[in-house]
Amino acid sequence: MLRKEQNELLTQTGLGTPMGDMFRHYWIPALLANELPENECPPVRVKLLSERLLAFRDTEGRYGLIDEFCAHRGVSLWFGRNEEFGLRCPYHGWKYDVTGQCVDVPSEPVEGGFCKKIKLKSYPLVQIGDVLWTYMGKPEHEPPHPEWEFARVPLEQSFTSKRWQESNWLQAMEGGIDSSHVSFLHRGSLNTDPLFKGSKGNQYNLNDTRPVFEVVEQPGGLYIGARRNAENGKYYWRITPWVMPSFTMIPPRGDHPIHGHFWIPIDDENCWAWSFDYHPVRALTPAERRSMADGQGIHVRYVPGSYRPLANKDNDYLMDRAAQRAGITYSGVEGIAMQDASLQESMGPIVDRTKENLVSTDNGIIMARHRLLKAARALREKGTVPPGVDPDHHRVRSAAVILAAEQTFKDAAKDDLIARPGVAQSSV
Amino acid sequence: MPQKTTSLPVLALPSLRSDAMQSESARLTTRNESRFRVDYPNSIARSVKVIALDETGRRLVDQIALLPWARATFFTSLSHEQSPAPLRAESNAVRAWLNDIAGQTKSLIEEIEIADVVVMIVGAGSTADAAPLIGEACQLRNVTAVGLVLQDEETTDEAIERTLRKMRQFVTMLVVASGDEYAEAMLTALRA
Repeated sequence: MLRKEQNELLTQTGLGTPMGDMFRHYWIPALLANELPENECPPVRVKLLSERLLAFRDTEGRYGLIDEFCAHRGVSLWFGRNEEFGLRCPYHGWKYDVTGQCVDVPSEPVEGGFCKKIKLKSYPLVQIGDVLWTYMGKPEHEPPHPEWEFARVPLEQSFTSKRWQESNWLQAMEGGIDSSHVSFLHRGSLNTDPLFKGSKGNQYNLNDTRPVFEVVEQPGGLYIGARRNAENGKYYWRITPWVMPSFTMIPPRGDHPIHGHFWIPIDDENCWAWSFDYHPVRALTPAERRSMADGQGIHVRYVPGSYRPLANKDNDYLMDRAAQRAGITYSGVEGIAMQDASLQESMGPIVDRTKENLVSTDNGIIMARHRLLKAARALREKGTVPPGVDPDHHRVRSAAVILAAEQTFKDAAKDDLIARPGVAQSSV
Repeated sequence: MPQKTTSLPVLALPSLRSDAMQSESARLTTRNESRFRVDYPNSIARSVKVIALDETGRRLVDQIALLPWARATFFTSLSHEQSPAPLRAESNAVRAWLNDIAGQTKSLIEEIEIADVVVMIVGAGSTADAAPLIGEACQLRNVTAVGLVLQDEETTDEAIERTLRKMRQFVTMLVVASGDEYAEAMLTALRA
């Protein structure tokens, strides 16, 4: 349970809100790199943290993320012409470069220098891996570029997708650190999904539906360890890292690629669920890549021409009661991503946390909220840089390991939880 | 609706659909519809027993016990009869008492029998000697036991490990937290 004012603080990310200020301290994923595939390609409308923006790639390949609307009469620059080092408004010809600087106002004499007085708000946009990242905070606080392993491995080793989720970011993100739902909601997929099936760990998951949890703090956020019984008195641990504010990783299974998410607010009632798969030491196989592109694993199939999942609230998520009854899927919704999203969207655009009844196994969620609230307050009151900004905090991995009963996962699996270039993930 | 930049046909856009065509999932998950959620209480207060296992826990219990709680009760220590063999919690006759913040003693077994959740609070590095007896009593009565281990900036990994090792088999959830305020946040979240 959260008090109403706590819920509002955590779920509102517009400019000037405490959580909005906090999100504006991080580099966040803004677009897939292939959304701006070539120089002078069409611009793309982007809404992030309740701000309407426009991304484009100019004649020289420079990326820009600027206020969507022309400073003259408020026209959307999405209609603009991307030509000769800038984006020109089709209404009266005003032109902007990738920094938002107006470089031409045809109706005014060049000598007067009027255009130098016009500048749209802009944010940096950089490509790392197959993602374009932006930083929406004050320039003087801009941190070093992100070091997430999925974005730093060679491109042939990773696959990233995004989908529109019609709910607040926090209820989506909380699903990413709620390990206990896997044995129920996703049980039908563990043995059938090509990106999950076949691992020994799946059997531990399915045989022991009452995992025991340990939550420990780490500099950037949390590690949430779920312990299940294995053979000979040992334990099977699935360890999920959460890095503030909204990065989560799913513990691996066998030699399948590792996967995880970013949960990025579009506005207070919508978010982007970014989903990535990567393998630290090998290229993804054609079959793996095909499965991901086909919406398997944590990815989805789309409504053509959009990032909206094909199974969505408008078609009741293609609910299949026969499959639910037969146990093919536990909820009747197909696909791991939409099994989560359908339930999270059903909560309403912003879930009322004053009515929830958390239990002790929800301590990962309780602790994450606690740390977010604490960091937002520390930022507002003392200007303390929040955890997760430092690139050192990005070098984490999820892990699945078998440990002796007396071992503590944070120490025994210490190396397994660090991203180590050229070293395979620890997995069962 | 966020869109790709491809020129593929865009189908099933919400803006192209009338309300009459909307699915129930779409119609009932709006902000407006949230106003019609049943507004009656959906739970009754849980009985939460908060037990300090050492001096660090005792200091914290003394503080948070002063806050308003629904059905949480707070105990600063456990005392039990001297026995050459380890005390076992199977028997209702086990002679162990919890000392509450007013200085009164209550039977451990009787308190656990009426509990929904037991929270043990202890400082990292503590031997948590009372954890086995309390945890075992919880297990035998199907009461959820939670361990909250408090660390500070000087706490070593070894100290945390020592305490976790002692408590692990007796709880269903272990949390290592820095700062006293997490105990209050957790108990509030659990509607204690």
